[in-house]
Amino acid sequence: MQVPAQLDAKFNQLVGRYPVKRSALIPMMMYAQDEFGHLSDEILDEIARRLGLNMTEVTETLSYYSMLHRKPIGKNHVQVCTNTSCQLRGGFETLAHVEKRLGIGNRQTTPNGIFSLEEVECMGACSGAPAMQVNYDFYENLTPEKVDTILDQFAAGKRPAPVPVISGSLHEPAPGENRVISQRFGVRDSRTLKVYRDLEGYQALEKALKEMTADQIIDEVKKSSLRGRGGAGFPTGMKWSFVPKNSPKPKYVVANADESEPGTSKDRPLMEMDPHALIEGSVIAGKAIGSNQGYIYVRGEYRYILDILDVAIEEAYKAGYLGKNILGTGFDFELCTHTGAGAYECGEETALLDSLEGKRGYPRIKPPFPAVAGLYQCPTVVNNVETLSTVPLIIRKGGDWYASLGVPKNGGTRLYSISGHVNRPGIYELPLGFNLNRIINEVAGGVANGKKLKAVLPGGTSCPLLKADECDVAMDYDSVAKIGSMLGSGGLVVMDEDTCMVDVARRIAHFYAHESCGWCIPCREGTAWLRKLLDRFHEGGGRQEDIPLIDEVSQNILGNTLCALGDAAALPTMSIVRKWRGEFEDHLRGKCLHKPADVLTVAH
Amino acid sequence: MAETETKLISFTLNGQKLSVPAGTLVIEAAKQAGIEVPSFCYYPGLALQAACRMCLVEVEKQRKLATACTLVAEDGMVVHADTPAVHKARKDMLEFVLTNHPLDCPVCDKGGECELQDMTFTYGIDHSRFIEEKLHYPEEKWSPIVFYDAPRCILCFRCVRVCDEGMDVKALGVGARGVTSVIIPNESGQLACEECGMCIDICPVGALTSGTYRYQTRPWEMKYFGTACAHCSNGCKTTLSIRNNEILRANNRDHSGINGEFLCAKGRFGYDFTTNAERIRQPLVRKGGTLQPASWEDAIEEIARRLKQAHDTHGAAAMGVIGSNHITNEESYLLNRFARTTLGTNNIDHHRTADYAGLATALGSKAKDSMATMAQIEGASAIVLIANDATQQNPLVAWQIRAAVRHHAAHLYIIHAGPLKLQRQAAQSVDVPAGAEGRAVGWLATGSGDLGGKITGELEKFKEALAKEKDVVILFGANVRGAAVRNLVKFGSGLSGQTRYMSLGDYSNSRGAADMGVFPDRLPGYAPLSDANERGRWGKLWGKEIPPKPGVNARQMMQAALEGKLKALYVVGANPLKTFGVKAPDKIAGLDLLVVQDMFMTETAQRADVILPAASTYEKDGTLTNTAGEIQMVRRAVDAQGPRSDFDLLRILIHQLAQLGLGAAMKHRTPEAVLEEIRQNVRGYDVSIAGLLTGGTEQATSAPAAADGSYDVAADLVFSSQDDLFTSGTLGRYCSKLNSTKESKERPWSSSPTTQSWWSR
Repeated sequence: MQVPAQLDAKFNQLVGRYPVKRSALIPMMMYAQDEFGHLSDEILDEIARRLGLNMTEVTETLSYYSMLHRKPIGKNHVQVCTNTSCQLRGGFETLAHVEKRLGIGNRQTTPNGIFSLEEVECMGACSGAPAMQVNYDFYENLTPEKVDTILDQFAAGKRPAPVPVISGSLHEPAPGENRVISQRFGVRDSRTLKVYRDLEGYQALEKALKEMTADQIIDEVKKSSLRGRGGAGFPTGMKWSFVPKNSPKPKYVVANADESEPGTSKDRPLMEMDPHALIEGSVIAGKAIGSNQGYIYVRGEYRYILDILDVAIEEAYKAGYLGKNILGTGFDFELCTHTGAGAYECGEETALLDSLEGKRGYPRIKPPFPAVAGLYQCPTVVNNVETLSTVPLIIRKGGDWYASLGVPKNGGTRLYSISGHVNRPGIYELPLGFNLNRIINEVAGGVANGKKLKAVLPGGTSCPLLKADECDVAMDYDSVAKIGSMLGSGGLVVMDEDTCMVDVARRIAHFYAHESCGWCIPCREGTAWLRKLLDRFHEGGGRQEDIPLIDEVSQNILGNTLCALGDAAALPTMSIVRKWRGEFEDHLRGKCLHKPADVLTVAH
Repeated sequence: MAETETKLISFTLNGQKLSVPAGTLVIEAAKQAGIEVPSFCYYPGLALQAACRMCLVEVEKQRKLATACTLVAEDGMVVHADTPAVHKARKDMLEFVLTNHPLDCPVCDKGGECELQDMTFTYGIDHSRFIEEKLHYPEEKWSPIVFYDAPRCILCFRCVRVCDEGMDVKALGVGARGVTSVIIPNESGQLACEECGMCIDICPVGALTSGTYRYQTRPWEMKYFGTACAHCSNGCKTTLSIRNNEILRANNRDHSGINGEFLCAKGRFGYDFTTNAERIRQPLVRKGGTLQPASWEDAIEEIARRLKQAHDTHGAAAMGVIGSNHITNEESYLLNRFARTTLGTNNIDHHRTADYAGLATALGSKAKDSMATMAQIEGASAIVLIANDATQQNPLVAWQIRAAVRHHAAHLYIIHAGPLKLQRQAAQSVDVPAGAEGRAVGWLATGSGDLGGKITGELEKFKEALAKEKDVVILFGANVRGAAVRNLVKFGSGLSGQTRYMSLGDYSNSRGAADMGVFPDRLPGYAPLSDANERGRWGKLWGKEIPPKPGVNARQMMQAALEGKLKALYVVGANPLKTFGVKAPDKIAGLDLLVVQDMFMTETAQRADVILPAASTYEKDGTLTNTAGEIQMVRRAVDAQGPRSDFDLLRILIHQLAQLGLGAAMKHRTPEAVLEEIRQNVRGYDVSIAGLLTGGTEQATSAPAAADGSYDVAADLVFSSQDDLFTSGTLGRYCSKLNSTKESKERPWSSSPTTQSWWSR
C-alpha cells in the first residue's frame, strides 16, 4: 500500500535503528496507528512486508499490547485511570462522569466518532490523581468541572493544554528533602542541553571517558552502593560487572523507561525535566560495560516524553556527546528511543528485551541473565531511568560521596512519588533510610482531611501493604524487608481510615489479571481467579470460605511463577486479607467502607 | 558426527544417586531413572518454556521450587521430586489449569488419552474450589482437519513450537494476553500450512482436534497397529487406530519409529483409500469387451490358461512384467521369481523413482558403511541436498535436515533448480537449470562441464566449503542418475570422514522393488544378470534356470506392446500407461493378455483383460524398505473385504502355472517364510529379525559384490512423479481426506463468523 510520505520516512528511520529489523515492529505499529487511528489489514501487511515477517508474527505481537487497535476508535481516545492511586482519589467517579458526559461505556466510541473511552491501568500520573489521558496528553487532578472543560474543548476541535510536567514535581524542598538528582527540577528550560551543561551537565562524561577505565567506573558505582531504582534493588555496579569482558558480541545498554508500577510516577519528571542526565548516564554505562549502542525503552503512554528525549538526544549528537568518537576519546555510543505499546510486564527486564526485539513481552527463563544473553542474545545491561540518571552524579562527585547520603548498603537518595490520601502528593527526593512516618507526615503534609492513616504501599502495588503501626520504619531496602515488605519502586501510596481494603485488593487484582502476560499457568489462571473472586466478594457475594481461599490462591501463585509478576499479585493480596481480615468479615455482613470518593474533598 | 567425550556429573534425586552427562536437565535425568516428573510444556527437542510449572521440584539450598525442565543437574545437587511441597505444587498447578478448562471430558475427543485427565487422576484434587464463571469461546474450524477449542487449551505452546521449530511453517502463534491468551492460526482465522497435523498430535488436551477423526469413537474402543506408512519413500511409522475393522485414525502414538514424533499429512490423513467406494472388491474378467465380475477360481484359471497359451505360442520373450513401488519386499521378490522362472523372461521392470541401482553399483562393497539412515541425517555435521524438494517429496528427510541444523548446527548445502523452502536452513545454495543437476555434480567431481560462469563460481565456493566438512551426508533425487551418481560417489569419496549417501525415491517401497531386483538386468541385491554365478545361484533357489539375455525395460515393454511384439503383460500395483505417458493406451488392447493386480480402476486397469483386486499396505503382512534402506514390518491392521494380498495372488498363480508346466512350485506359504529366504539370499538383507519383529528398523545395504564403473541407465527410465505433500501417485487420488485438505488450499472455505472477533481488539 501507499504509505504517506512522513510515515514512510518514519518507517525507514525505525527500520534502520536496529540490527534486527523485527525490533521496529512495535514502534512502526504505534506510529501507523497514530496516522490512521487503527491498524488495518493493509498497513499490517505493509509493515510485515517491510520487516520480512509473516502475519502470525505480526498478529502475535500486536494482540499482546493494550494500546494497539485493529478496529477504528474515536478521534480522541479518552483513557481514564482507575488504578490504586487514582481509585483513592476518585478515578472511578471520574470514569463514571466521563461515561455519563459522553454517553458511552468503556471501550465504546461516540456515534459521531469524536470520542472513544477506555478505562486504563496506571498511566504514571499518580501524584496528579485522578488523571486521564486524551490521546497522548495528560490531564491531572481532575474534577468534574475540569473534565467537562477538557471534553468540551476536544469536542470543539481544540486541544486543551495538557499538564506541562507531572503534578507535584514543582515545589519548594520539603523538610528532609535532599535534591541531588532532582536538582534541576523546576529550573527554566532544564531539559535543554544549554541549561544542563550550565548546571554541571556532561562533566561526568568527560571524566568517565577521559580519566577513567571501565573498571574504575564500575568500582565507583559499586562504592556508591547504588541499587536499582526500578523495584528489585539489585546493586547496579555488580550488575555491570557481570557483563563478560571478552565477549566478541556487541553489547547493549537499555534504559528501562517502562515505568508502570501502579503508584509510581518518578521516572516521568526525570525524563521531562532532566533528559540529558539519562543520556549522560547511558553513555557512561556504555563505557563501563564496553557497549556502543543504547536504547531507551519508553512506555507507550509516555509519547510526549519520548519526544522530549528525542530532542535531547539530537542535541547530544550535535554536541558530540553521542555518536562516533565522543569528546575525541575514540569511544562511540549510539542511543535512541523505543516506544512500548501498553504492557506492564515489559517493565520486567527480560520481557522488555523480548518486546524490544518486536515480540510479545514474555519473560525469559533465567539463567542466562541479560548480562550474558540479553538483547539479540548479546550481553546487555538493563537499568531503570533513575538508576542511570544517578550515575553522572556518582562519577562526578564520587561513589563515597553518594553512599554517604544514605545508609550502609543503601547508598544515596531516591525519588518517591507520593500519592493517595495525603495533603501534598508529589515527587520528593529523600535519602535512603528516611523514616516512613516522617515521609507521610512531614514531607507529604500528613493524611488528608485530618483522617487517620490506615495503610501504606511503600513502593508500588507489588509490595505487601503496611499497617499504620508498621510505618515507623527506615525506608531502606533492608529495613523494609525486615518488616515483610519491599522498598520497591518508590511509588508510595497512602490510604486513610475510610478506605475499603477489600476494594483496594479488588482493584489490585484487576490490574495484575489485566497485565499477566499469560505465559505461566499459576499467574495466568491465578490472577484471573483472584480478580473474579474479589469482584464477587466485594459485590456482596462472598462466602466465609472465600477469605482463606483468597489467601491460599495467592500463596499458590507466590514463588511458583516464571517472573515476579505472580509474586507481585500475590503479596499485596495476602497482606490485605491477613492484616485487614476484619473488613472481609464485615463484607460478609453487608458492611463495606467503600463510598464514592468526593474528588473535591481532597485538597490539592 | 564425532562423539565428544562428555563429562559425567552426579546428583541426587529422591535420594537416588544419579550419574548423567553434564548439561542434562533434571527432568530428563528423572525420566531416565524412571522417576516421573510431570509436565505439559516440556517437550524433548523443542524450546524450553517453563510455562506449565508442573515440574516444580525442591532443590536443597534453594529458596523456591525450581522447574525441572530448566534445571540443569549439577555435581552434588540434591533434588526432591516427592516431597509434600512438590506434591502440593502439582496439585495447585492442576487446580489453576482446571479453573478455566471445561470439564467436558465425557464429550471431549481427547477423553481417555488426555494428559490433563491423566495428571488430574494422578496428582490432582477431586473437587474444585473455583466457583466463578469459566471463560467460554466458540470452537473454531481452522481447516477441514484442524479444529481449535480455546477454553480447553492450556497454553503449553507445544503446537506453536512444533509448527515453528519442527516444521518451519510458523502457522500458529499466540494471540491476546493473560487469561484470554489463545492460539491463533496464520491466515485470518484459517490455517495456511502444510497440514501435517503435528499440532493435533502434540496437543496434550482436546484443544486441537482432528476433523477426520473427531466424534467417531473413544480411544479405548480401538485397537492400535503400528505400521509403516503406505505413501512416500521415507518409511515413517504410523499408528492406525482400528474399530470394527475400519481405520478411524492414523497418528503417531508411540513415537517409536524412525520418524520419532513426525508424520506428514499423508501419513496422518491418507489412510481412507482402504474404504474408498471405488475400490475394486472382486475379480473382473473382460467378456465381450466389458469387464465383468468373476469368481476367484475363474479369474485365476483364466489368467493361468492364457499366460500358458501366450508363452507357448509366442515364447518367453513376448511376456512382460511391471512391478510396483508399493507392494512389499516379499511380493516384489515373488514377482521377480514369477517373471524369471515361471514365465521364463527377464522382461521385468518398474517405475524407477530414484537410481538406487546406480548408487549400489557405484558403492559396491563400500555400501555397507556408506548408506545413510534417517537418523544419520540428523547426526550429520554437513548435509548436501541435490535435485530434490525434500519438504514436499520427502517430508521426513526434510524434518531430519531441519533437526540437524537446529539442534546440531549442521551445515546444509543445496543444489537445486528453483527456490526451495529448505534454503532457509541452507549455508549455501546453488540454483541450476532443471535437468542440469547431474552436470553440476559432474563439475564437482571432475571440475569440467559447461554450466556458465555464475554457477561455476558458486560451485567453486560450494566445493571449497565442503572440503572443510567432515562426515557428510549426501541426499539426491532422481535427476542425479547413472554417470552422475558415479560422479557423486567419486566426489563424496574425496571428502574427509565417512561420507554417506541416500538416494531419494518416491514411494513406500521404491527402494524395496529395486533391492528385490525388479529390473531387466539385475537380480535381487543388484546382482548383475550378466554374472553366470548369480544366475546359477538364483536359478537353483527358484527351481528353474534363469535366461541369460537381459530383458527389455519398462518403456521398451510399453513400446513393444504397442508394436504388437509383446503379447502378455502382467502388471502388479502399477499404472504404467499413465506413468510412462503411453500415447495410444487403447492400442495396448492389442496384447493377447493384460493382467492387472490393483486396488483401483487405474488407466491401465481399465484396459485389462483380467483384474485381480489387491489388498493395500494396511491390509497385509510383510516388509517395506524405505529410501534409506531401512526395512520395517507392515502389519495387517484391517482385513481387506474381498481383495487378496499380492503375495497370495502371486503364490496361487505360481502354483497354478507350475501345474501347467511353467516354472517350479513354491514351498513358502507366508510372507515370513519368504522374508527368511530373502534374508538368507539377498545381499545386504541379512539383518536381525528381532529388530524387525519388535517394530524397529534394520538397514539393508544391498549392492553388487564389486563396483561396476560402466553401469549406466537411460535418462528416461529414472524419474520422479514430483508428488507434493498432498499427492501420492495414483493412490493419492483415492485418499478423500487428504484431498479435502488440498482442495481447501485451492478454494478456502469461509471460516466460522465468530473467528477472530473475540481476540482481536
